[in-house]
Amino acid sequence: MDSGRSRRIGKGALLLLVCLLPIAMRGNDYFLHVYIVCAINIILASSLRAMATTGQMSIGQAGFMAIGAYTSAILAAKCGIPVYLSMLGGGCAATVLAALIGFPLSRIRTIYFVMVTMFLGEIIRLVVFEASSLTGGSTGLMGIPRPEAFSFFGLLQIDFSNKLHFCYLVLLLLLIILLVLYNIHRSHAGTAFAAIGQEESLSSSVGINVARSKVLIFSVACFFTGLAGSLYAHYMTVLNPDAFGTFTSLYILIYVVVGGRSFFGPIAGAILLTLIPEFFAALKEYQPYVFVLVLFLIVFLLPGGLVDLPRRIRESVRKAPLEEAR
Amino acid sequence: MVEPRVVPPSPTERHPEPSASMFETRKLTRFFGGVCAVNDINLTIGEGEIVGLIGPNGAGKTTVFNLITGFIRPSSGLVMLNGENLVGKKPHAIAGRGIARTFQIAKSFPQFTVIQNMAAAGHLYGGAGFWEGIFRTSPYRSKERSIFDHSMKTLGFVGLEPWKEAVAGTLPHAHQKLLGVAMALATAPKLLLLDEPLEGMSAEEVDRTLEIIAGIRARGTTVLLIEHNMRAVMKICDRIVVINFGQEIARGTPEEVRQNEEVVKAYLGAAEYAG
Amino acid sequence: MFWQGVVNGFSAGWIYVLVALGLTLVFGIMRTVQFAHGEVYMLGAHAVFFACVVLGINIIGAFGIAVVALFILGMLMERLLFRRFRGQIEPSIIVAIGLILLFQTTAVVTFGADEKHIPRFIQGVLVIGGLHIAWDRVLSVIVGAGIMLALYAFIKGTKMGQAMIATSQDMDAATLQGVNVNRVSSVSMGIGSALAAVAGGIMGSIFTVEPFMGSFAITKGLAVIILGGLGSIGGAVIGGLILGLVDGVVSLYSSSTMASIVGFALIVLILIVKPSGLMGGD
Repeated sequence: MDSGRSRRIGKGALLLLVCLLPIAMRGNDYFLHVYIVCAINIILASSLRAMATTGQMSIGQAGFMAIGAYTSAILAAKCGIPVYLSMLGGGCAATVLAALIGFPLSRIRTIYFVMVTMFLGEIIRLVVFEASSLTGGSTGLMGIPRPEAFSFFGLLQIDFSNKLHFCYLVLLLLLIILLVLYNIHRSHAGTAFAAIGQEESLSSSVGINVARSKVLIFSVACFFTGLAGSLYAHYMTVLNPDAFGTFTSLYILIYVVVGGRSFFGPIAGAILLTLIPEFFAALKEYQPYVFVLVLFLIVFLLPGGLVDLPRRIRESVRKAPLEEAR
Repeated sequence: MVEPRVVPPSPTERHPEPSASMFETRKLTRFFGGVCAVNDINLTIGEGEIVGLIGPNGAGKTTVFNLITGFIRPSSGLVMLNGENLVGKKPHAIAGRGIARTFQIAKSFPQFTVIQNMAAAGHLYGGAGFWEGIFRTSPYRSKERSIFDHSMKTLGFVGLEPWKEAVAGTLPHAHQKLLGVAMALATAPKLLLLDEPLEGMSAEEVDRTLEIIAGIRARGTTVLLIEHNMRAVMKICDRIVVINFGQEIARGTPEEVRQNEEVVKAYLGAAEYAG
Repeated sequence: MFWQGVVNGFSAGWIYVLVALGLTLVFGIMRTVQFAHGEVYMLGAHAVFFACVVLGINIIGAFGIAVVALFILGMLMERLLFRRFRGQIEPSIIVAIGLILLFQTTAVVTFGADEKHIPRFIQGVLVIGGLHIAWDRVLSVIVGAGIMLALYAFIKGTKMGQAMIATSQDMDAATLQGVNVNRVSSVSMGIGSALAAVAGGIMGSIFTVEPFMGSFAITKGLAVIILGGLGSIGGAVIGGLILGLVDGVVSLYSSSTMASIVGFALIVLILIVKPSGLMGGD
């Protein structure tokens, strides 16, 4: 069996394991909760990474998450729209804003883009806060429904108040989103996006429509971010604007940078940094110190992110025999 | 960027007279504030020609390229390709119309491999769409394959095929320049603008690149060339236009230009041009 | 009503100026946005609180201690963390985020998360022509203006100040002229942090001291320096006062949230249209 085939079987097995984990742990509500939160974080991080390939690094994604969350929540809870549709509505609302603001934003240089997104995110959070008759403001929005139950061919009863069932809903959406992002990543468009991130004028001169491409991937990323927000809303069943501040956006950025800029980087980063606060929860208010330590370790020792680790290990192993020979 | 002094288009510019040659610029002018960087440049290039654009440093040659390719907007004047005025179009649209360029300082996508660079540049040739890519349809995948084949052929043509897996940022200087040319060729242009393609090359590399340029013309692409290497310019160009301080000071065949007094004066260092 | 808003805004504006001065100084010289600047401001407030309320030192001494302590902290941050990533946007952001978490957590475990108060320097309200101005706000204006003048004198008058100007214009050229760019960067971050500490202490006495007060400062501070132009000290002053005025006036007619929304929308507009700000060159 050649190495390529055995690698693919290994990856398939890992994927299967990840998919079966919730059933295996079905009694453990805490585990399922972390699993769901982790999956949502992966969606957020992967979306940010996709738009960052064009050089559009945003620290305002929590704002788009908020748009998705509140739109879906209000449509479902106050307008009686089925949750499946309202979640799509949440994603669409986020996309519409992204498309509207995307063109002016596409002309801004990276450092200013970062700052604009921060203020955009803040504006969205403040608007949610201020429009309290609609959103519940600081007291929060409550009574957000879980997706409607249905019956699978009369055999399987799917009821989303059951955490396990919701877990699989999130997992399904996660896999679909990752598949789409992966196909974009290895498609011609993905190459064009990465080209834009390296050299904009060269990209232009070989026929790539830079502005349109930037807006396109920005809108797609915000669609998934809004969708993640909707999932969050219907999972938590309550919403508070504090969850969608710049700090949350910075966390999403950290998942990407710690994990690495490759396709799988944000997945690794989101998983690691979602699990760390849980593992060290016993430290209570001292827990963030662990997080900080990990951040500094990565930025000083492993600037390429977690995905760079295998390469670094291979290189230092290769160097070792030379050291001994001296 | 300082806003240029824009002269509203005259009636003849809004409905330009048809042009005889494949490519021409008419009264191409560009001001930066009060300074006139390019003044009334009228180039005429016929299909299949290799035309040289020469002049001392700072004469405005690269600015002319930037005006033609849409990176800067002219203050006034026209840029006509096959009778169509390209002024006001964005660079990617102009590339789509068939004008490709290289840059004075060799540009590539430094983190990509050579073949990835070519794939990025093959966008126009392949016509692969965004939504098709998500679903990876069969027509999409065959488009990807044809872009790959086209890229490999172009790399072979410039002689970079052995380096196809090399990371572009690590390439030696001459190879980076050739990669720039290959990428411009990948867009299947009608007119190729080369900005100092021989700069920094050894004598052998110069000769090889000149062969490539001749090959480009043989394949049917017209070339407009900025170069300081006078020996090469005299050797390969059919016609030459000389500019200084943004204005044309001479034009003609290499022999005519070589003997032109104004040109000699402009260049001061006669040695560099006596070649 | 309107003029009360103007007065409120003017005094708030000087605090924004103090925060922004530190940010713009650091950006001008180190070309990096110090996202943890708000947390430095927060630590400054806590330092004043600690020295004054816990140790019982008089208020001026407390401010003095806080200034010195945060000056040193600023220099350490530059030397140990930011210097390594000079010019690199993303690592600098990660370092700053790490510092934000570090400082916030330290404040929580050391001082607790509840609100604390720094005693007011002066009690009472000044009433002029129907307008009410709290005396401590008047004082904050005087202190703010005074510090700005002192900073100006420092930059124009001292060798270090001149070195800072040279470095902010062209780091390489300054190095060639014999400027110790590393020392200039350290001092800049030190001064910037000290300024933030003063702003934090003042805000802590007018309002409250708590570990999460920093996010207010960094968002306002960043808004000011974008408005006024990144790296421009004059811009920081003008931007701070303008933003303060917008906040003051809109707050009275609507709410402070609405004021922030209007202010930030203005910033977004500026970033789209003229990112270099009111006084920026670019």
